[in-house]
Amino acid sequence: MRGVFTFIVRRVVAAFGTLLLSSVMVFLAVQALPGDVATQVLGKDATPDAVAALRKQMGLDQPAWERYFDWIKGALHGDFGTSLVTTKPVGGEVAQYLGNSALIAVVTVLFAVTGSLVLGVLAGLYRDRWPDHVISTVSLVGMSIPEFVVATLLVLAFSVTVPVLPAVVLYGPGAGTGQLLPAVWLPAASLAIVMAAYIVRMARTSVIDVMASEYVTTARLKGLSTWRVVTRHALPGALLPTLHVIALNVAWLVGGVAVVENVFNYPGIGKLLLTSVQNRDLPVIQAIALISAVVYVICNLAADLGSMALNPKLRTRGGSVR
Amino acid sequence: MSETSLRTDPGVSGIPRRSVLAAAAAGGGALAGSALLTGCSGAASASPAEAVPSRGPAGRPDRGGTLRIARPPASDAETLDPASALSAYEYLGALYNRLVRVGEDGKVAPDLAESWEPDDAARTWTFRLRRGVTFHDGSAFTSADAAYTLRHILATATASPQGPVLAPLVDPKRLRTPDPHTLVIPLKSPHAEFPSLLTHYNCYVVPDGSAKSIGRTGIGTGPFKLASFASAGPGRVVAYGDHWAGRPVLDAIDFFSVADMQARANALLAGQVDLLSQTNLDFATARVIAASSRATIARSKNAQWYVLPMLTTEKPFTDVRVRQAMKLAYDPEHIRKVALQGAGTLGWDNPVPPSDPTHIAAHPAHDPEQARHLLKRAGHERLAVDLYTSSYDPIFTPMALAYQESAARAGIRVRVKTAAADSYYTQIWMKKPLMATYWYTGRPVDQLLNQVFRSGSSYNETAWSDKEFDALLDRARRETGEGRRRELYGQAQTLIVDRGGAITPMFADRLTGISRKVRGYAEHGFEFDYLGIGLKGA
Repeated sequence: MRGVFTFIVRRVVAAFGTLLLSSVMVFLAVQALPGDVATQVLGKDATPDAVAALRKQMGLDQPAWERYFDWIKGALHGDFGTSLVTTKPVGGEVAQYLGNSALIAVVTVLFAVTGSLVLGVLAGLYRDRWPDHVISTVSLVGMSIPEFVVATLLVLAFSVTVPVLPAVVLYGPGAGTGQLLPAVWLPAASLAIVMAAYIVRMARTSVIDVMASEYVTTARLKGLSTWRVVTRHALPGALLPTLHVIALNVAWLVGGVAVVENVFNYPGIGKLLLTSVQNRDLPVIQAIALISAVVYVICNLAADLGSMALNPKLRTRGGSVR
Repeated sequence: MSETSLRTDPGVSGIPRRSVLAAAAAGGGALAGSALLTGCSGAASASPAEAVPSRGPAGRPDRGGTLRIARPPASDAETLDPASALSAYEYLGALYNRLVRVGEDGKVAPDLAESWEPDDAARTWTFRLRRGVTFHDGSAFTSADAAYTLRHILATATASPQGPVLAPLVDPKRLRTPDPHTLVIPLKSPHAEFPSLLTHYNCYVVPDGSAKSIGRTGIGTGPFKLASFASAGPGRVVAYGDHWAGRPVLDAIDFFSVADMQARANALLAGQVDLLSQTNLDFATARVIAASSRATIARSKNAQWYVLPMLTTEKPFTDVRVRQAMKLAYDPEHIRKVALQGAGTLGWDNPVPPSDPTHIAAHPAHDPEQARHLLKRAGHERLAVDLYTSSYDPIFTPMALAYQESAARAGIRVRVKTAAADSYYTQIWMKKPLMATYWYTGRPVDQLLNQVFRSGSSYNETAWSDKEFDALLDRARRETGEGRRRELYGQAQTLIVDRGGAITPMFADRLTGISRKVRGYAEHGFEFDYLGIGLKGA
């Protein structure tokens, strides 16, 4: 039991370390953007007085490390500063967009994970027979096509040819869930298709590995039904490596939405990120980058802890080894 | 860049390129997307210029209906204050009127002012204002509102892009309103073309004392009144029954902001919107739209001019012979064929559009031999230059490559370099000695020449400084005889062609995506006919 505890503590500490490091890197990266930030915001014809005033207002006259600690201190309290463009608090703005993105993310993950696990297991069980060929080919194609192309094809099919779903979202960030819901399906489908491909491949491989393992052979020799062998013995073993892929893919979603949301004009975090980069709205960029890092770290942490829960070997590591 | 971030910068404001965000957002994904759509539509066989129709659907609209317009947001902080650099451009023409506007013939035409005249020296201008005009809140429009509008534009707190243009001429304290229908504007120096400066889209008239609220209320005298508005979000305007020029054809207009150009095109194809504002579609997307059953393409003739500005302060372009050689060396017909697929008007290095009354057509002919000769005399026999371009606009790179090819025949080696689109106007424009860019046409000639070519102007992208040229502009402003003035503006154009730093190969049509239901779409320069536009079968 002590082993489990140390393992968890070690992972959580590592996660915090990663976060701290990424916060430093985010901060430095934004500092390193070409040109003085104040000049960037005011434009090249700004008077030196205006630039000096803005630098002071933005706190740019303070040393970098002091600004970093101010930023982190604020961020821990949910205060990410004010947007240079809208002059509203960044935290509230980002939260609103993040909520909209979460809607896509939840739908995507539900579809991608359940769908691809089923398909992956099927492909693994019917290895080298036609269901496997069909599933593998389709998922390989899905894996090779970038998400914006998938998105465009989906728009062509479901908005232009057979107009059942909206091609773009015409509402702003303040739109309600009811307004956004019809617009969620196409972006979620584009992301799910690309994401599913990886999970299908991984689930298939693990199922094949597990089905060839000795303990499955033993279970079969004991005379258990195929259904029982698959659900009780093969699946938990096969899920383990797949879990990591799922976690990484959920983390990838954070980047994937940036592209897909812009194709669909969906008022989510990805669209906000793109606009902010174009506007050089630095506090917003910093906040989104940091939040993305948090999502990444949490996903990985969850994957690690999850695999520990599923894998007795990891669970007992550090304990008595026979 | 400009509209979105340079809030207090009068230099790079909205005037030249309104749809900054939009174009920058149309990155690689959008282009690939449009190419893909083209492939799927199977309409790739005909020559693109032919496949794209030359005008929108003809006929009269039915009364009523709601038009849905997709527009690129100016900024997340956009406002309905017409004077602001962050104004939501599409709303302005629907909600407000100016004193004067630009007619289709390029001349100043009446709007809220019925007539205007200068004194003998063009030092004082008197505007007679329309009677019986009411704002959307019911109050009457008077000269006090007109005077206030000018003071609002000139106030430093407004930071209006048109402020620096008017400030050298107008003293806000000396404006006079002898009666409710007369506005007298004494100028600091004579200006015979002064009314043309009030046609700018920052000059829409707002009610007296409305500076604090106008950005949200949008109270004007225009054909539509505001129902709702959200910065970079959706908004709606409804017909104003008491509009002085009569009720508009439509019942309402819904505005939706869609930053990505491809997303805007998709919305049109899917029938979610009826018109794409401020969107110059690339040829591939335009063909797809023209081939669809829901939408088609309307053209705004010569809506933008393309230019390769040479920085006259950077070597080798400091030498006027090199600039002349760079202009003589290329064949504009070749560039038009490659970059515009033949559809457009040759510029011959004159940025004043052919529709302008002062436009001069005379120009030196394409002469690569003379170009070689000039370069030899200037000691640049094997001239090699870098030409910057980006994916910011679909025409830039084809134009740069066509120039490269054409100039090679005169022995000039051009290296085409691609820069990032999102920082193109902060890192490349007015920084690199040679690059590709464009402007929207629609500026009156006095404003165009003074803003883009006069010494020291913040828009002077060639950093050209020519005393004779500046003096010509000053003389033209003082000249009250119309024919003589036209001649002076003509001479100024000749100087630009002969000595200036701007290589201006062509004027291009803007390809606007509209639904096949739209009737009466009319747009030229910065003028959009909100009164007459409507829908068939609304």
